[in-house]
Amino acid sequence: MRSASLGFAAALCLGFGAPACAAPPPLPAEHLTVERLPPRSPHWVYVFDEAFDNEIDARVHLFDGDSYRRLGQIDAGFTPSVNLSPDGATTVVATSYFARGSRGARTDVVEFTDNTTLANTGEIVLPPKRVETAPSLFNVAYSADGHFLYVAYLTPAASFGVLDPAHGKVLGEIDTAGCVLVIPSGPNRVSSICESGRLLTVTLDGEGKETSRGMSAPFFDADRDPVFVQGIQTASGFAFLSFLGEVHEVDFSGPQPAFAAPWPLVTAAERGKWRPGGQQVGAIHRGLGRLYVPMHQGGEGTHKDGGTEIWLFDLASHKRLARWPVRAAGLDPVIAVQVSQDAAPILFAATTQADVAVFDALSGRLRHLEKRLGQTPWLMLNP
Amino acid sequence: MRSIDRLFERSSRSLARRTSRRSLLGTLGRLLTGAALLPLLPLDRSGRARAGEAAPGPDSPENCQYWKYCAIDGFLCACCGGTSSSCPPGTAVSPITWIGTCHNPADGRDYILSYNDCCGKTSCGNCECNRNEREKPMYRPSRNNDLNWCMANADSNYHCSVSVILGVAEK
Repeated sequence: MRSASLGFAAALCLGFGAPACAAPPPLPAEHLTVERLPPRSPHWVYVFDEAFDNEIDARVHLFDGDSYRRLGQIDAGFTPSVNLSPDGATTVVATSYFARGSRGARTDVVEFTDNTTLANTGEIVLPPKRVETAPSLFNVAYSADGHFLYVAYLTPAASFGVLDPAHGKVLGEIDTAGCVLVIPSGPNRVSSICESGRLLTVTLDGEGKETSRGMSAPFFDADRDPVFVQGIQTASGFAFLSFLGEVHEVDFSGPQPAFAAPWPLVTAAERGKWRPGGQQVGAIHRGLGRLYVPMHQGGEGTHKDGGTEIWLFDLASHKRLARWPVRAAGLDPVIAVQVSQDAAPILFAATTQADVAVFDALSGRLRHLEKRLGQTPWLMLNP
Repeated sequence: MRSIDRLFERSSRSLARRTSRRSLLGTLGRLLTGAALLPLLPLDRSGRARAGEAAPGPDSPENCQYWKYCAIDGFLCACCGGTSSSCPPGTAVSPITWIGTCHNPADGRDYILSYNDCCGKTSCGNCECNRNEREKPMYRPSRNNDLNWCMANADSNYHCSVSVILGVAEK
């Protein structure tokens, strides 16, 4: 091709005389720099990639839903837990490293990244007890005021660590009597999900020590219809979807959690046939009161299958507003969803083939399909 | 006619030398089993399956649809240098585990299976398999396959997963 182009240029020279033969000016010398992030956009999304095929090398991709560009990367180690600070300024990664790369002494650590630069700004070494599991919002989480950071432990004995991120210290460990994960509420409360279908809520003092604990009434039945642990943030707490498609909205604004009456995603005829599924099983636009759920047809044991449709619900009326078939849009089944919280929202949908689709969240129109955004995008976060 | 007889006799004897009644029954059996399982095969139960992976038959421990794998989540050790019940060379067995119950279509029995992980090397990356029959979230850890069951090993890196028969499930 290159010789053909040169030949074409030579022919032009012969045909048009000397002016056409003048060499173009040389390119200017370049100055190597490090790119700086643009100002934060509500259409950014942090895409957690487990990198399952080579699991010691997980990472978080920062992706822009307007320019469809990757803006940068945060390294995340082995089976990490990832979350954002309440002000969106910091990404926290709780992870494990082995002294010789894939083997050797294990060090558990939480690492902090400044989201304006994507530079690491510090770490806190943990006891080697961090839960190593699929991602959720509750593997590592900040208190509402950012004063405390909670890290779920499982050895398999269940407990959690209370950290002071401002001073880089582990303040202590609190046993959770077999209940798991850290659901933060207010400045000083942590709830954990119990096998009995109850929530254990521990209240802390200013130093991160336990002052009281309470056990709720059961709000689901782990035998009959378990809830996914991948809760979805609502205006006053979190919503938990069940395997069969019940929505359990839990208000965490008071001293103890309060449970709204569950409501179904499916009709009586659809129950047991259509289900939510995947790794991040729902997204909520809190201002508009809209719930997005990847749904598929399948029976027991298909709760991690991706959605062939995304169903849209109104949280106030519980009405289904739309069904968006994703296969018609050229997508593989959807295993994770997230929605931006602005007035012109976009819906992100990650697929089994690691593609990330960008939809207009109001109309369902597919704006872009980003192919292969990492290996295994299982959780998406936005500020 | 005689020549035709001889031709058929030769070909029959040749076939008989190369095969046996048992293999004929085996072939027929495989065909029948395959036909019975055929409606199940197109379902992608993994949610993360890779296109183009080699697909030995469902009676092979290198196939995600193998009956012992009904609640497994990870890379099949049988594709990584081990078997369905042994870890690959140089790895270590996880002493703690999760438990599943799977139906063996060959003998009609339900078996209790221990899904141990093999630990100490980074993920095998071959034959990823995620099935979730009777699997529960991590608040019921003994039935959960999301957890890294190498968590309590001295070297807790995850390599692959096996499925070990513990016994027949009592009704």
